[in-house]
Amino acid sequence: MNEQTTVAVVPATMTLTGITKNYDGVAALTGVDLTIRPGEVHALLGENGAGKSTLMGVAAGAVTPDAGSIAVGENTYDHLTPAQARALGIAIVHQHPAVMPDMTVGENIRVAVPAAVLRRDGDVEKTMRAMLADVGCAAHLQDRVESLSIAQKHLLELAKALVVEPSLLILDEPTAPLGPESVNLLFDRVRAVAAGGTAVVYITHRLAEVRALANRVTVLRDGTVRGGGETADISDDELLALIVGRKLDSTFPPKVTTDDKDEPAIVVEGLSGRGFHDVSFTARRGEIIGISGIAGNGQSALLRALAGLEPFSGTVGIGPEAYGSKRLRHRCGYLPADRHREGLMMSLSVRENAALSALRLFTRGPLLSSRDEAEAVAGQLRSLAVKTPSQQTMISALSGGNQQKVVLARALLSAPAILVADDPTQGVDVGARSEIYRILREIAAEGVPVVIASSDAKELEGLCDRVVVMSRGAVVQTVEGDAITEEALIHAAVRATGHRREEAAAGHGSTRLRRFLLGDYAPVIILALVMLGLGAYVYATNDRYLSAFNITSVMTSCAALGFIALGQTVALLVGGIDLSVGPLAGFMVVVGSFFLNDGRSAAAAVVGLLLMLLTGAGTGAVNGTLIRYAKFTPVAATLATYIALQGLSFLLRDSPGGNIGSGVTGVVTTQVGPVPLSFVVMVLVAVALEFGLRRSRVGLRVRAVGSSEESARRVAVKVTGTVIGAYMACSALVFLGAIVLLAQLGIGDPAQGVGYTLSSITAVILGGTSLLGGRGTFIGTLLGAGLIVQVLNATVFLDLTQTWQYFFQGALVVVAAVVYSRVRGAGRSPL
Amino acid sequence: MTSSSDATANSRRTISRGLVTVLIALVGLAVLGWLTAPSSMSHGALLGMLPFASVLAIAALGQTLVVMQGGIDLSIAGTISLTVVIITHEAYGDNARVLPAAALALAAAIAAGLLNGILVGRFGLNAIVATLGTNALLYAAVLGVSGGTPRETTSLMARVAGGSTLGIPNAVYFAVLATAITTVVIKKTVAGRRFEAVGASALAAWASGLKVDRFRGGAYVGATLLYWLAGFLLAGIVNKPTAYEGDSYVLASVAAVVLGGTSLLGGRGSLVASALAALFLTQLQQYVLARGDTYAVQTLVQAAALTVGVALYTINWKRLRSRHRSRALPASA
Repeated sequence: MNEQTTVAVVPATMTLTGITKNYDGVAALTGVDLTIRPGEVHALLGENGAGKSTLMGVAAGAVTPDAGSIAVGENTYDHLTPAQARALGIAIVHQHPAVMPDMTVGENIRVAVPAAVLRRDGDVEKTMRAMLADVGCAAHLQDRVESLSIAQKHLLELAKALVVEPSLLILDEPTAPLGPESVNLLFDRVRAVAAGGTAVVYITHRLAEVRALANRVTVLRDGTVRGGGETADISDDELLALIVGRKLDSTFPPKVTTDDKDEPAIVVEGLSGRGFHDVSFTARRGEIIGISGIAGNGQSALLRALAGLEPFSGTVGIGPEAYGSKRLRHRCGYLPADRHREGLMMSLSVRENAALSALRLFTRGPLLSSRDEAEAVAGQLRSLAVKTPSQQTMISALSGGNQQKVVLARALLSAPAILVADDPTQGVDVGARSEIYRILREIAAEGVPVVIASSDAKELEGLCDRVVVMSRGAVVQTVEGDAITEEALIHAAVRATGHRREEAAAGHGSTRLRRFLLGDYAPVIILALVMLGLGAYVYATNDRYLSAFNITSVMTSCAALGFIALGQTVALLVGGIDLSVGPLAGFMVVVGSFFLNDGRSAAAAVVGLLLMLLTGAGTGAVNGTLIRYAKFTPVAATLATYIALQGLSFLLRDSPGGNIGSGVTGVVTTQVGPVPLSFVVMVLVAVALEFGLRRSRVGLRVRAVGSSEESARRVAVKVTGTVIGAYMACSALVFLGAIVLLAQLGIGDPAQGVGYTLSSITAVILGGTSLLGGRGTFIGTLLGAGLIVQVLNATVFLDLTQTWQYFFQGALVVVAAVVYSRVRGAGRSPL
Repeated sequence: MTSSSDATANSRRTISRGLVTVLIALVGLAVLGWLTAPSSMSHGALLGMLPFASVLAIAALGQTLVVMQGGIDLSIAGTISLTVVIITHEAYGDNARVLPAAALALAAAIAAGLLNGILVGRFGLNAIVATLGTNALLYAAVLGVSGGTPRETTSLMARVAGGSTLGIPNAVYFAVLATAITTVVIKKTVAGRRFEAVGASALAAWASGLKVDRFRGGAYVGATLLYWLAGFLLAGIVNKPTAYEGDSYVLASVAAVVLGGTSLLGGRGSLVASALAALFLTQLQQYVLARGDTYAVQTLVQAAALTVGVALYTINWKRLRSRHRSRALPASA
């Protein structure tokens, strides 16, 4: 291959030298060198946890290395930021798509791709549709990303990366969730961009893909480069040896010999559920059952069902008894694949984690006996050879292998009826692996059925007596005894399917109505209808309701609350909350009351207004800084400023004083017919903000940060700046509210304003803005504020007491929150 | 390598960071008081401060339970206020009616806790939203019962809640007892330990077979019992309590919880530390008053104490937070 010699002399696209990265003292990368050349497809091979993703995180600016350098073109960097990487033409398609679930497909594209690129062909919408079609993504631009299938999210990622025509394209296991057509399309695209001179790094652990695509290959193991070279010069066996680098056989305990006449220990029949269907297998006492297949073919879903975490149909019999979902959840020892999220309470100690499922055994009377608990846990930790300084050590301080053993210890202490382990040796060092194998074998020998899924067929070969190979959620073959070999398992999986079925999700009724109902504007319509209905009812009982006087007074009250609630909306959109808005409004009024009096010069008034605005900017900056740099939760940070601002108000005035000048009041209370000017301005501001939120880059960034901070960071949004800016914008809107309050109160009263904190939050909630961040509308907030004021006003006309005012407010919040959360589904709930 | 067999010997529960911090702060405040404002440490001043510290401590215990589940309870204001007005209005001047009134208040409080619990645990609502709504409903009840007017407490209530035994205000006994019982229930019972585990990681707790929404919702019911006790004491300590007595406990209870070292993100809670932080905050108020400073200074000092207190923890808890923030992203290594 002549071209390879030419490729070698072309300057590298990127050269990584001596890259080292530690996580909590555990080395993820040690002195890694890697050169990536233009026009090549460079495969990066290695097991789970070999450091592939971390290395590419360094290349794309998502990970800051502890040591080493990154040379791109003629410049050398210690580390890159995502923004730098993007400017240098580096695009990455993450294994976990960096998408914002609350935003639409189109918005996700616009926040991640420079505007210039999208405007290249004139029409932005057209460009976006073309780039989706280019990768075979059927999603609609208005679809909320949350509702897409995983495959579609990946294609969206790919489209975002390709459209910028990068000089370096990094693909992190891109085919895992894709169907065959998408994979073929992907391969074509990769070949095409490489032919165009782009350097492609292709992370995978499938040799077939390396053969199909790559010119060169580099193998990582345990965070170091083990070898590599031209793909043509290196055989599969050599690659495998580099990846694995050890004789696996020696680390496995001997298998059992069972008698065919033994009673089965577990009988699973016709098990179906989400992600798998019609799975049946049986196993005898002492056997370990493996679940094999290409990642994402229903193995994890099956295990979750066996652990009682997902509903299923069909039967599970353990020993002589049948087990339903509920019983399984209580009697199953489950080792989840994602140990940190589902397996452990990372902020609790080793003992608390280990003892959790067996606490009932340690009671004496109503109370727990520390000694019983400590002894039982110590015994279990000893038999599993867990290395921990003490039982009181935080679980987070242990190595991956020891953490997994603690999960095992918890399962074993509870004397489970069945043990289910999803990739139990992932992220576990070699020594601990063989111990875990030994322990699993011992558990099986005691008669507890053990079911294990693993992405590593070699592991199943060494460990299992019976392996169920799954594809597309169904069993394609069951392999037993000596027939269990890595080749047989992989062959069975690959021959049966090649790939996951194409998901039909693309056309899943993404109709206009459905998009609207799931969209941000549904609450606006609901609120508008409620307000109209309420208005009509009150007007029917009392026709003075629509008198000019009443309209003016309602709108004036609405203006102050509206501005402050608009500010609160900004804070909520970035996923925060600002409790300090009420006292801030009050404090600004107090500040203003020293300057905006009758008989003071215009200059004094200007100074006063400027000081008020400065106070706001300062408060916003303090809130943002406490949250971003001092790592306060938004509640804690704004609670502190809340209290401080109240103190400052009383420091300036210990009692009401400083009458506001009639000139100021006159300007603020100017009316156009019955409509006060302040209300008009507020509505205009709300509309402008709404437009900015949907259309401007700043608006997109604000929502991106609120929707998923991590994804936002990876698409080069400056998270810290955005959050601090949001709190400052919030305070600036409070400033506008304070001007209205000035006129309403007419005096500097240190005790006023505080109530606006809760009513602003109420208004925002009614408007449908999510407290989780990322989704919401200013128009909704506007109507929310309007509804609150309307309800308070209506109680007067209906001759209802203050009791009813509170009752309606409370009922509105509760009903609105429940309705909105139902409409949106429990998709964002942590369970 | 330390083998696990050593672990048995080392089984004593280590004292939490929060407790150490609060204890140091309390001692520091006492010393400062003696040196710079001796009147704040006088017998009379302490006797006047302790009943209010006790009420705040009990309220803070309840708030701690909610915060341990990653929630926050704004309806503490309504619950305490409602308890106060039910007791003062139903038992107006009639000692015999104190007990039925207290029982009625307890029932109302539990109902509020159940509503919060169902909204948060079952419907998965954000805690701020749910408790904000509940609080408004509670205040509707407060005004319904009282019409917004204060009434004098009964002589029995004044004796029980406002009196002293062996020279120590009765409220202190209530607070110590409440702290002890809550701590034992959380740290030494099966349900309590599971409660802590659910707070530390709802996902992991669910995967290990716990009924997560019951614990999450249950936190509000447990909290409500403590708010009721706080309201009950307040109805006796204050001679003529207003309809809005509970309002000042929202921020103060959250401040005490945060100072006591319980993370607002949920997880392990330090109940004793919360109670002592309440004592610290109340005495801090007393100290500033004794120095002759204004309400303004007093408030600013509280804000400063809160900020410094939180900063102490956040620096050490940084790793925990970053894990929380990036929970959507499994470790890339």
